[in-house]
Amino acid sequence: MKRQDERSVGELLLDADFTTRQGLMDVSGQDASAMLRTWGEVVQSASELWATLPQPFRGTNSPIDGATMHRLESMSQAMHRDQVRRGWPGDGPSDERLLHVAETFTRAADLIGRRGGHIGPTDPAIRADLDAARMRIMHTLYVSAHSVGVAAQQHVADVELATTRGMSDRGRRAVPRGQDAINRLAAFEQLAGAYVGTQFARAAQGEHVHGPHGAERLQRALIGWDIQAHRTLAATPTPANLLLASRSQAGIATAAAAILHAGASTGHVDTHAYEDRLAPTLDATQRAWTHVAARWAEMTTPASRTDSDLVHAAGELRAAVREVAHDKTTWARPEVMAGRVDLGEAAEYFQQALSTAVDVACVTRDVAAQDANLSGPARAMSHRANADIDRAADPNHRDENVVWVTAGDVYANRMVTIPAPVRAGLVDATDALVQTASKAMSAAACLDRGAQDRPMGSGQEPAVPRSRRPEGPAPAAQEVRRVARP
Amino acid sequence: MMTTDTIDQDAGDTLAAVARLLHHAAVRAWAQAESEGPRSSLHLLGLGIHIASCQAVAMLPPDANLEGQPPTQDDVAQLLRSAEELTRAIPVLDQPAGISPLVVAICDLMREATP
Repeated sequence: MKRQDERSVGELLLDADFTTRQGLMDVSGQDASAMLRTWGEVVQSASELWATLPQPFRGTNSPIDGATMHRLESMSQAMHRDQVRRGWPGDGPSDERLLHVAETFTRAADLIGRRGGHIGPTDPAIRADLDAARMRIMHTLYVSAHSVGVAAQQHVADVELATTRGMSDRGRRAVPRGQDAINRLAAFEQLAGAYVGTQFARAAQGEHVHGPHGAERLQRALIGWDIQAHRTLAATPTPANLLLASRSQAGIATAAAAILHAGASTGHVDTHAYEDRLAPTLDATQRAWTHVAARWAEMTTPASRTDSDLVHAAGELRAAVREVAHDKTTWARPEVMAGRVDLGEAAEYFQQALSTAVDVACVTRDVAAQDANLSGPARAMSHRANADIDRAADPNHRDENVVWVTAGDVYANRMVTIPAPVRAGLVDATDALVQTASKAMSAAACLDRGAQDRPMGSGQEPAVPRSRRPEGPAPAAQEVRRVARP
Repeated sequence: MMTTDTIDQDAGDTLAAVARLLHHAAVRAWAQAESEGPRSSLHLLGLGIHIASCQAVAMLPPDANLEGQPPTQDDVAQLLRSAEELTRAIPVLDQPAGISPLVVAICDLMREATP
């Protein structure tokens, strides 16, 4: 005899939430068909559960409450009709986890229907419980929509990989229908995400639901990152923002090396140019950004805040790179990347990004040299000052009596203005960064297809960073000016 | 939507612990990436974890206590799993707003960190 399920509605909703999380952690492209078959059932059972919840007390409900669930259900039904029309994914097994979520929602709806659906929620505590239940349902739909979307994306990536090995007509049809499912699920996720509401969702307002993919997304993400990095560093050049900016720039250099290597391996980028000029300069600039990032990290605390718009831009940049260059836990193989995007086009976008990186490096150096408000935790600053002094000083002339941070500040680990040796070390590191970024820009000039097609002496300038353009010849031909130490 | 002003104390403490775990996981991922070299894909994993850590900190009130001993674990995937498990104790309604995307981000990172 089947044991009776004695869990409460709250426990059932938690079970559904945790099941979707576990599914998201393990999902793969092979799960896509089963998940798409079962997805409609999840949404329908969520909608039925939503309808059994006692209606909010008059005047206390938001106009979006019921409307959002109706829209989500409509979207799911439209997606189902489309699947029937296309004959994909067709008949087959269901996804066990999603089925469990749907059954759990149904069980919760039964429980409410039998015991409390008629209750008028006038008590604030009951109203709060109902609000919590609605939010948990929507949260579960949000997580599971993302999960099905990830499965569909990986399915499309797997099918696209098959194109490099020759693909059947059936396989060729799988790409647009998979892409369509991805777009529909992204719209669903965005709507559910608006209900569960976040600062980061607000930061992303104005984006199109059906965003670009592949090389176009990469281009937009690189441009968006550049614009946001300049905005944030102009307005709030804090160590936390500079840390994220530096780590993201290091990430751009790492990604550029991976994608250009793939381009060189597949004939989209000149192999000698990559091996002899691009790869060494990209590695050097990556190390320089990483070194500078470590310096900024010393000046932050775990509680330091980072500009949410910068965080969002960095997240989109990372997602765009992953879409092109990653395969699960590591870099995709060159032929896989070549199957996803035009690597020559991607190389051009990185060429532009490496140009603008020089400008970000210059801004970073200017902050290091000139911002009088730079501060850091006393212990880290004391340690860094002594380490830099030890490294730089003549052992015969070391001044043992200078105290850079007071004992009281170190004891309490207060935030202190960065000591002179720390600033000097930071300026040295950012000077070196500007030099290496400039070399990477020069090396990457060979990726500019437009410049290659232009006749010599056509009068068109090579790409140089915006803010440095009036200062003189392109950094390829000059030593970038060093900033005087304060 | 409620703001960070209204975070329940217990939820705030749990979220602070999540932020600490993510911070440590990012540091560990970057340390591993640096030992592998400038072309390691772990640089981007570290960046992703750091971004999630920034999201967690942004949901906390300004006076939240994020100091304390670093976690004893060093394995990045295990640190992420611990962070995800802690988020299960945070109510999705009582806020902080934004917990759902953070949960999704951590689950995505776990998939990325687990071969």
